[in-house]
Amino acid sequence: MSVVTDSPAHSSGSDDFISYLNDALDASSPDSSADEEAETQDEFEDVRNKRRKLESTEETEGSTSEGIMEHKLVVAESSVKVDVCTHPGSFGEMCIRCGQKLDGESGVTFGYIHKGLRLHDEEISRLRNTDMKKYLFSKKLYLVLDLDHTLLNTTILGHLSSEELHLLNETDSLEDVSKGSLFKLEHMHMMTKLRPFVRTFLKEASEMFEMYIYTMGDRPYALEMAKLLDPQGEYFNSKVISRDDGTQRHQKGLDIVLGQESAVLILDDTEHAWMKHKNNLILMERYHFFASSCRQFGFNCKSLAETKSDENETDGALAKILEMLKEVHCTFFDKLQGDLVDRDVRQVLSSVRGKILSGCVIIFSRINHGALPTLKRIAEQMGATCLMELDPTVTHVVATDAGTEKSRWAVKEKKFLVHPRWIEAANYFWQKQPEENFVVKKTTNPL
Amino acid sequence: MFFHIVLERNMQLHPRYFGRNLRDNLVSKLMKDVEGTCSGRHGFVVAVTGIENIGKGIIRDGTGFVTFPVKYQCVVFRPFKGEILEAVVTMVNKMGFFAEAGPVQIFVSNHLIPDDMEFQTGDMPNYTTSDGSVKIQKDSEVRLKIIGTRVDATEIFCIGTIKDDFLGVINDPATV
Repeated sequence: MSVVTDSPAHSSGSDDFISYLNDALDASSPDSSADEEAETQDEFEDVRNKRRKLESTEETEGSTSEGIMEHKLVVAESSVKVDVCTHPGSFGEMCIRCGQKLDGESGVTFGYIHKGLRLHDEEISRLRNTDMKKYLFSKKLYLVLDLDHTLLNTTILGHLSSEELHLLNETDSLEDVSKGSLFKLEHMHMMTKLRPFVRTFLKEASEMFEMYIYTMGDRPYALEMAKLLDPQGEYFNSKVISRDDGTQRHQKGLDIVLGQESAVLILDDTEHAWMKHKNNLILMERYHFFASSCRQFGFNCKSLAETKSDENETDGALAKILEMLKEVHCTFFDKLQGDLVDRDVRQVLSSVRGKILSGCVIIFSRINHGALPTLKRIAEQMGATCLMELDPTVTHVVATDAGTEKSRWAVKEKKFLVHPRWIEAANYFWQKQPEENFVVKKTTNPL
Repeated sequence: MFFHIVLERNMQLHPRYFGRNLRDNLVSKLMKDVEGTCSGRHGFVVAVTGIENIGKGIIRDGTGFVTFPVKYQCVVFRPFKGEILEAVVTMVNKMGFFAEAGPVQIFVSNHLIPDDMEFQTGDMPNYTTSDGSVKIQKDSEVRLKIIGTRVDATEIFCIGTIKDDFLGVINDPATV
């Protein structure tokens, strides 16, 4: 009974106060199950009516402590009602601005920031706008990074091939993750290899970009990886998005990224995950360190781990992409004319991409019909002109076989004869590749 | 607000606990079961302080388990609308900040932070006044007013505000 004796409001009978408490508890404790929501609403109304009646009788009798407190409560409630709130978002199904209980289904969930947080479209765009001004002022754009095959490669310990078992003795200590690149996560039964250059990449990119992680892995995995990449928590502080947070299955979307789409770049190895945001996407060459990852994508070659090699630190995919990001960043802020707010990083990206193969006139010969449209699209995005008929202006013949008519023509006319991989490589490295590395071999069986 | 109240619970006990220590076993199981849980009606059970009464046990057919109705005193914590609480900031972002007062998670959105405080990004994101005299960041202690509460089975969510007189930072870890 110490409720009563400790309470400062206590002045009259203790039973009164207990009954008040019971009322108050009944009134403000919602039932967590959704289907009983309506019922509790009714109850709530009932209790309030009862209370009003109670209050009026009490007041005529003279002021008890209960009467005073009830009065205050009613005043507080009504003042909230007068202030019309737009309910910009909710936390634990309450409006974040006025505290009113809301229907939990509206708005976009931001579970990656905090459990139970939801925001409405207007609030998201308001946040994006205020954010945008601040970041443009400090010359920053947004960069959304994928984890697997982009920044690192992970395998389940049980999937290590016999030739990779030597790795088990070569893992780096988890005590100081900032120095190592190969980690064994015993509790998750996983081994993770960070892509070479990734630390420098993150450090330099963080000066130009506000960075997010966006992965198709689940939340515990994503957080664990974020810890490896960013042990100090300086880059990805509450900006780690996992598949549990996405609004659409098997798709990634920028709707839960708090950045204006015109200022976001995406770095990912899977194009079809970003159906709605292809123009923001920078496609990465996949990083396969472990054999299980190679097999998953249908490669039968030896993995990097099996051959005890790795991507080149200074010349690898991340280093190339960082250079390109610097160029885009520099173009966006220093070379473009007009108001900063009107600039669009997607246009910058496509113009940078359009310079890669500009001046090249390409003709395709004996390319698989399935692959042709994609190759053609990629080549055109990089600024090349694709022809269907032979023409003296042609500079490159892309073929898989040196024996075709067009290939022979290329050799005779001293044009470049290259493998389709030449186009793919240019696309990944954002640079025209030396043609002599992509020579087409004659197939052995002549037709 | 904290309350010292009497609650009742039906405890099922396995026959192996019957014997001299039956009462002790019952009490320790009770503490294990209820401390740290939430109920929408009473809030968060902080600690069991005493046993009022243990009723007669009823033997369950088939299992041999015995159900005892136990009346116990406990300290519960339940936030109320309009209550002033002191809380520790756990996370700061552009939407506002999150704070904890024991088991209670409180969100203060940037609509409810005084307009003269502005969000600053960086490795230690914070809300700072234009003259830099007041700063809210992770681990700051703030005094806030609850404007909405919701109690789930295991968690208590609150919406708070510091946009009122005498609310805001009460202890800044940076200056200690």
